[in-house]
Amino acid sequence: MKYLFATMSIYLLMSCSQKNEQIVNLYSQRHYKVDEIQYEKFTELTGIKVNIVKSNADQLIERLKNEDENSPADIFISVDAGKLQKVSSLDLLQKLPSEIEMTNIPKLFQDINGLWAPITYRSRILVYSKDRVDKKELDTYESLTDEKWNNRILVRSSSNAYNQALMASIIANNGVEAAEQWSAGIVNNLARNPKGNDRDQVKAIYSGLGDVAIVNSYYIGLLLSSEKEEERKAGESVSVFFPNQSDEQSGTHINVSGVAITKYSPNRRNAIKLINYLLSEEAQKTYVNNSFEYPVHNEVEPNEIVSNWGKFKIDSLDLNALGHYRKDAIKIFEKTSWN
Amino acid sequence: MISVPLLSLLSYSNIDSFQVINEKKYLFFTSSINTFYLLSITILVSLILGLFPAWYITINQFKFRKTIDFLMYLPLAIPTYIMAFSYGEILSYTGPFQTFLRFYLKPISNFFNRDYLTIEILGIILGLSLYPYVYASCRISFSLIGKTYLNLSKSLGNNWFKTFFKVVIPLSIPAILSAIFLVSMEVLNEYGAVKYFGINTFTTEIFKSWYALNDESTAVSIAIILLLIVFVIFSFEYFYNSRFKFNYSPNSKIDFTQNNNNIILPYVFSFFPIIFGFFIPLIFIIFNVVDNIGSFKLVELTSYTANSIIISAVSSSIIVLILIFILFIDNQYRSSLSKILTLLTSLGYALPGAVLGLSLIVFSKLLNNNIIDISLIGSFSLLIYALVIRFIAVGRSPLKSSIDKIPKSTFEKAQNLGLANYGLLRYIYIPLNKLGIMSAFLLCFIDVMKELPITLILMPFNFNTLSTKTYELAVEEMVDLSSIFSLLIIGICSLTLFSVKKYLSE
Repeated sequence: MKYLFATMSIYLLMSCSQKNEQIVNLYSQRHYKVDEIQYEKFTELTGIKVNIVKSNADQLIERLKNEDENSPADIFISVDAGKLQKVSSLDLLQKLPSEIEMTNIPKLFQDINGLWAPITYRSRILVYSKDRVDKKELDTYESLTDEKWNNRILVRSSSNAYNQALMASIIANNGVEAAEQWSAGIVNNLARNPKGNDRDQVKAIYSGLGDVAIVNSYYIGLLLSSEKEEERKAGESVSVFFPNQSDEQSGTHINVSGVAITKYSPNRRNAIKLINYLLSEEAQKTYVNNSFEYPVHNEVEPNEIVSNWGKFKIDSLDLNALGHYRKDAIKIFEKTSWN
Repeated sequence: MISVPLLSLLSYSNIDSFQVINEKKYLFFTSSINTFYLLSITILVSLILGLFPAWYITINQFKFRKTIDFLMYLPLAIPTYIMAFSYGEILSYTGPFQTFLRFYLKPISNFFNRDYLTIEILGIILGLSLYPYVYASCRISFSLIGKTYLNLSKSLGNNWFKTFFKVVIPLSIPAILSAIFLVSMEVLNEYGAVKYFGINTFTTEIFKSWYALNDESTAVSIAIILLLIVFVIFSFEYFYNSRFKFNYSPNSKIDFTQNNNNIILPYVFSFFPIIFGFFIPLIFIIFNVVDNIGSFKLVELTSYTANSIIISAVSSSIIVLILIFILFIDNQYRSSLSKILTLLTSLGYALPGAVLGLSLIVFSKLLNNNIIDISLIGSFSLLIYALVIRFIAVGRSPLKSSIDKIPKSTFEKAQNLGLANYGLLRYIYIPLNKLGIMSAFLLCFIDVMKELPITLILMPFNFNTLSTKTYELAVEEMVDLSSIFSLLIIGICSLTLFSVKKYLSE
């Protein structure tokens, strides 16, 4: 009891001292080095202290939901538009005010309801073995169900949010039935049961287990810049391919990291300042210099490794669809045994 | 205090959700098969790795016996998810194992170029990390059997082999069962590792329903089914242990005069689990630390280490205080109410940590609506409360067994001398159980140190621990950057284990 009392009083003291200074409280799914750099710079610039709880998106949403109007959070950050849609559909956000500067952000990345702002994006691309696959053989996500890919496709499990978002985009673009056929076709062509992370899929190509993998662009950058020689070799053994690029096709699937202001944000003014900072040219440059994500600012170019893959046509789907069709996506995964 | 948050989960459950499970029979079937398959492999591996060395080390005297005995416990210092992620990297095509083969043993490297992320391999990895539970309880049980039984068996003409299977094992069934119970709990609680290996289990189904499908009631229903399974295993163990009360003669110490001529055997027995369960992952992690030494900040390291130690120390202290109180009452009054109370304390251990964390979030909302004004979510106290609920069962068994060893007459004599409850507690109970209290504290300390899901759900602002930081980096596919945090966890836990061992040998 003694201890409990002591810790509780320490906690109370800590929370009291916070009242006097300028703060902004984040619930963030992002936990990269670059984020720490951003917040440090922001604090330096404005004197506003950034407090963070980092966890996965669903758990943060669960916290927000149950804290309700007592929530200390000002900003919610996720690396998946589907989760941003989820949190907005639960009525946990407020509309972004007009002070938020989005003139340099293409409409394509923005939320049509104005509830969240994008900060970076990643594409879900194909990588293929330089030795065993000719670039001309590749075309669309849909064409991966072709017989010639039998026993050659690699992808991680369906519990991964990026795979769920990709499936949701296919449902939105092609309909439930076509998506189900696509899923069954992929499962049929798999070189092994879905498992591991994105980097493991590339390593599996390097080892000869399969020939084409569906992965997130971000992780290829990580592999290519690894400290370990064998990992760099794995990254160099594959080439990047952007699917669905021709005029009549939908474009390559992307997903954004986004920020939103919570419904009961206690430090709303500071939250607005932070979002504006993250959208500024300076912060966008910080992102690309310290990670392999694409910037959303139209005057900032991505990191060199990423730029070398070339420009590509982006799927213009409303990103909220990634959340809308999430449940259907999971049902399809379950039905077609994509574990 | 302990069961209330769990019961608040029930508010989510309803008949319809069991209907949903019925509709998804097939899916539920495969995840049950997977869960039980994984459980059986892990239990089998940990029995093989734990039983034989425990027996051999108990009855033989050989060089470095004490050192090997201590080393056998060390895999407990490595959290299972770190073990799984490390082995995932070690065995991968670009990992040290296969790279080495490609460079030096080209002809056989093709044979080893295969997919290692399978349920069988995961079972073995979990077995390697969990066998110390079997080893620990068997070591105690084996050394309690005493030489009377062994000599008897010998005089009946049984050889070493027969004695082991016909006398020692049957006498140790209760100990083995309780170890299997602990191993099962750890496996059922596992989330990070099974997800990485692409295996659907009960736990992954719970999270899929809750998070991805926003279907809390199905998630809770699966959790309740899981709870029922645990309850069945638990009551089986309880029933079995209370039915078979063996008459140990602990004072007859085993003499080591027999068969220590097979000098190599004990080393072989313990070589495999120690090397694969501890040193290989440790060396891999150390190499990663050396490779990335430039990217670590001392300020971060010290503050995360401090956080980890503080929550571990605070929650373990509270656990020990509660346990002393509960067990004292149980011992003094032996009412059925106190029996139920002690049983309830085990409940928190039966649910996956993340479900417990969620139930506390739901619980604090209920509190918020009805009783208090400030939100407890994200407070240090709620986090500690959750950790106490979760690990109180871990501290219970060492303390209980220590208390049970004190003859009842000691208390009676003390009472006759005029000591009342407080006096009993102060002058008899606590001093006599000092070692039990200390080891309960340290065991809880290790478990909180390694804990991940609860801290991840309930953490306060700007609060990182070594394990949340490890996970954060590992899940973003930067296992090598997470190495220093893993190494600190392993180092602190090893030291703690060392002190447990020291206390116990006193």
